[in-house]
Parts: sequence; structure tokens; C-alpha cells
Amino acid sequence: MRFNRKPSRGRDASRLTLRLWDFTGTAMLNLFMFLFLIAYLSPLPFMVIASLTPHDQFLDPNAPILPSKRVKFNYEGKDRIVYQVPTDQGIKHWALYKPSRQSSQFIDPENLQAGPILWQGQWRTLKADYEFAPTLDNFKDFFAIAQIPLYLKNTIIVALISEIGVLFSSIAVAYGFSRFRIPGIKYIFFLLIATIMIPSNITLVPTYFLYSGHMLNWIGTWLPLIVPHFFGSAVLIFLLRQNFKSIPRDLDEAAMLDGAGPLRILISVILPQSIPVVTTVALLHFFYIWNETRLSSLYLGISPHLQMISFAVQRNQTYFFTPEALMVGAMVVMVIPVIVLFLSQRFFMQDMIITQIEK
Amino acid sequence: MDAVNESKLLMKIRPKKLTRLQQEARIGLLFLSPWIIGFVVLKALPILAAFILSLTDFHMLTPEATKFIGLGNYLHFFRDAEAGSNLFGSLSYFLLTVPLEMIVALVLAALFTSERLKNRRFSQTLIFMTSIIPATSIFFIFLGSLQYADQLIFRPLNLPPIQGFGLLLPFMTLWSIGPGFLIIYSAMESVSREIYEAARVDGAGPFARFVFITLPMISPAIFFTLVINLTGAFGGAVLLDRGYILNFSLSPMESYINNVMFQQTDLGYASALAWITFAVMISLTIFLFRSAKRWVYFPEEDEVNEI
Repeated sequence: MRFNRKPSRGRDASRLTLRLWDFTGTAMLNLFMFLFLIAYLSPLPFMVIASLTPHDQFLDPNAPILPSKRVKFNYEGKDRIVYQVPTDQGIKHWALYKPSRQSSQFIDPENLQAGPILWQGQWRTLKADYEFAPTLDNFKDFFAIAQIPLYLKNTIIVALISEIGVLFSSIAVAYGFSRFRIPGIKYIFFLLIATIMIPSNITLVPTYFLYSGHMLNWIGTWLPLIVPHFFGSAVLIFLLRQNFKSIPRDLDEAAMLDGAGPLRILISVILPQSIPVVTTVALLHFFYIWNETRLSSLYLGISPHLQMISFAVQRNQTYFFTPEALMVGAMVVMVIPVIVLFLSQRFFMQDMIITQIEK
Repeated sequence: MDAVNESKLLMKIRPKKLTRLQQEARIGLLFLSPWIIGFVVLKALPILAAFILSLTDFHMLTPEATKFIGLGNYLHFFRDAEAGSNLFGSLSYFLLTVPLEMIVALVLAALFTSERLKNRRFSQTLIFMTSIIPATSIFFIFLGSLQYADQLIFRPLNLPPIQGFGLLLPFMTLWSIGPGFLIIYSAMESVSREIYEAARVDGAGPFARFVFITLPMISPAIFFTLVINLTGAFGGAVLLDRGYILNFSLSPMESYINNVMFQQTDLGYASALAWITFAVMISLTIFLFRSAKRWVYFPEEDEVNEI
């Protein structure tokens, strides 16, 4: 009996502590992740706040953080700024009526009959009253200066055309790498991986020469930004190949017995099973085109009407180096990639996976 | 006689009867051809041309005065203190940011493998999101946030205001952990549970399991992330390219080459510098691959005869 009871009670107790530990652990873990995400993403709320803040507010060191405007009081047909005025009866919210250096006249909005009140002291040291008032003026100014619809249209055209090219060629090449026994293919694949690591600087000058008036005369057109993608992209080929290899060969062989040629197998066997990875690759390429600034600055510098969005906004913003203008530009450039990412998170988060690193 | 004639006839109809393997190789090469053409025209020839260019004193504004100067540009590099310090800067950039990025990515990935965490997919997307924000936006967000950081953190704590770009580097690094985090996380997810169970039965605690099972099992992913970061530190981009911030790149050597190229228009020297960077990078990569044999776990499967 004695042996029977004690362990069982002990087990109950330990189960309770375990569950308690379990619960605490889960809570701690989730709390930690929550706090981490808040800290990690904290600049983003500031971006939104700053973009809604009027410019004057940044000049006043005593201004609140949130977008707001000065409280004004209309007296005798004119808007007068309300200040926090320290008096014998505590801080009063008075509107400045007649400023002067050593003493100024104020109006008490709650007690108009008293008329102007003389206050001894420097009004410039007073804190102004603010009320919460977000403004869209920054966006209006921004869109008035930058031709965002034009740049957006340019970027989307370039993205779509080069997307078609890069998908066709990369899928074909990845298929070639994953399904055919070619002598020396090991070394060709190694070459492909090596090209990923070549810094873009090293090929910049000769390719510029290739596109310049000496040879192809493509400067000032979209061709230097589009045509290279029709030869495939090494990173995308790598990702696609990894995925194609994981599709069992039995399916190919069954299709081959039915008389399907290599192209037929690619289209009706491989591709239907690779829709997620193809989507991932298409998105990666879209982000690449969207973020592209170097080539567009180099090749489109002489034709501003063809300019792409990232570089155009970047160049535009260097003239308006105020916090709110910067944040508006940042928002305009990042909002579409972020929306695309969230719409496609199911594909994207699963297939940017490189499980097997081969050597 | 008949049989011989028939075979001769066949030879005439099909002069070169390819074996199945040869035919397969031909079709395969046909599929590879877009990349091979692109490689020759857009990579191999330009790299060669850059090498030839690096042996001359080609200036963008005076192309007719170009002379062959042999290894002069390379010798100039050894006398150019600024170039040396920038190359060193790129190296230390790699050495500073990579540990930070790897540790944060590892810890986050380890936390995410726990099933107790809620909303994992959404949180992952949030963490990944910062890595697709264009460099333009990051730069603006950083500069614009300085004011708020000053107002909320630095002034109340009586710290001096932030100077210039001091915090941009760690900020950028933390906001680029997306791909590394995802690669490491998916590697951790693919480690089989049985190994953990076996270790647990043998009495290994969570920490021991992480160090002796998780880390060795995901070493290929860590290795791949290292190579990605190495490439990134020297101005290449793998997986996610977020663009550049005007002529300002986070990789010091790259900005210096850009400066030589566009401000001083000394293309010969710029090409030489790019080649030197490339050489340093390749030797580091080869070193990494050599060392990989010691610490990276390669599963012994049917992948032996592949790269």
C-alpha cells in the first residue's frame, strides 16, 4: 500500500510542475518572440509616423513624437499659436497676441473679456501646444515632384519582359542540368556556381563597352536591363535544379515510354510539379528588378523618362533630405515588394529552401 | 551480302548513328545552350577583357592615349594605402557582420523549431520581410529614424547623438538575416526527430542536443550561409539582391572601386582592383571549401558523384 500510494502522488505532483513549467516555457518563448519582433521592426512604425508628420514639427525640439499640429486660436480674425505659459496660478494655455522680446501680450481663450494679458518673460522659451493631426501633405508633395506612375509603369514593363526571358531560359537550363547525362557536366555546373560569386564590378566596364555606341549602341534603352536575363540567371538555375532533381525519374520514364520527347516531359511532367519553386524564382527575379539601381543609373541616366522606380526615387530624395520626405520615399519604394511577399508567403517561405548542399 | 548492303544503306541514310548516350548529351547541351552562350558573352569574355584592361592605363575621358603598362596597376595597388585599407575594411566587414548575423539567425531558427511558438509562419514572414526591403528604403528609414532614436533613447539617457553611419552597419546586418535564417531554419526542420529522441534517452540535455546534434547536422546550411555572406561582403549578391544606395555600398572595397571607376575614371586601375578583390575572394572561398571537409557533415547518399 505504502509503496503504491506515494509514487502515484509524487507522479501527480511532478506532472503538475511539469505542466506548469511547460506553460511558463511556452509563455516565455512567445513573449520573447513578441518583444523581439517589436524591437526588430520598430523603425517601421517610425517610418509611418514621420511620413504623416508636418515638416515644422521636426524643427521644434519640444514637439511630441506623434504627428500633430500647433493649437491655434482665432482672435480678431487672425490665427494665434497657443503656448503653455507659466503663471502664478500654474501653467495656462494662452494664445500669443503681441510678441516682443522681454514681455508679451497673451489672450486667454477661456476668458476673452480680460483682453490682452501682459506676461513678463521671453515667449520664445515657451512650449507650444500641440494636438494630434496626421497630414498627407508629404505624400502630396512627393507625388507632385516624382513621376511615380511613370516609373512604376517602366519598372513593371521591364520586370514582365525580363521575367518571361529569365523563366524560360532558367527552366530550360535547370532541366538540362538535372536530367541529362552529359560528359563533364560536373565541371559546367561548378562553373555555374562560380559565376554567382563573380563580383559585378569586374564585368562592369567591358559590358558597358559592349552596350555602348562602340558595339551595340543600347545605352539609353531598356535592352541592357532586359536582354541578359534571356540567358538565365545562375542563382535561379541553381534553385530550380535542386527542385527538379527531387522529382522522381520514374515519371519521366513512364512518359518516355508513352513516346514523349524531352520538351514534352519538361512541360507535362516536370513543370506541373514545380509550380511552387517556379513561383519563388519568379518572385526573386521580381524583387531583383524592383531593387535594381546600379544598372539603371548606368544605362538609363541619359533617358529619365525610361527610369526605374528605385533609382528614380533615390535620386529624387537626395535633394529632399528631411526626415518626413525620406520616409515617404522609403514607403513608396518598399510597399509593393512587401505586399507581394505577404501575398505569396506560402510559396516563398517554403521553397527558398536549400536542404542539400552538395560538394 | 544482303545484310552488309542493308547496313551500308543504313549508314548512308544515317551517316552518324549516335548512341543513346551521345544523343542524350546533345539534347542536354541544347537545353544548356542559353546559359552557355550567356556565360561566354556576358561573363567569360568580359572577365578576360577586364584582365586585359587592367594591364593598361585606360581612362574613360582619354581612350586614345591608352598605353600597355603591364603589371603597373597591380604594383600601384601595393603602394595605394587607401585601396589596401578598403580591402581590409571589406574583410573586417565580413568578420564583424557574419558572426552577428549567424548567431542571430541560429538562435531565431532554434526558437522557431519549437512547436510551442504561435503564429510561426506569420512571424517568419515578418522577419524575412526586412530582407526584401530595398536598400533605398533601408537607407532612408535609417536616416529618418535617427531623429526619433535621438529623442527617445539618446537624449533621455544623456548619450551623445548618433554620429553618421555608425549604427547603419549592424542595422543593415540584422535586417538582412532573412535568407540565412530561412536556410538554417529549414535545415533544422529536416533533422530527423529520432536522433533527438535517441539522445534524450541517453540523457542529453537541450543544450547538449543543440551542440552535438543540431549544429553538426545543419553544418551544410551554415557553410552555405557563410559562402553567401562572403560573397556579399565583396560585392556579389546571392539569392536576394536589394540594390545599392547610390554610389555608396556597404562593402568598402566596392565603394572604392566605384569611386576609382566613376570619379577618377581610371578604368584600368579599377579593373585591376576588381581582379584583386576577386582573387582574394576566390582564395577565401577555396579556403572555406577546403576547411569544409573538417567540419561540414556531408550525408553519404547517392550524391557522391555530384558536385
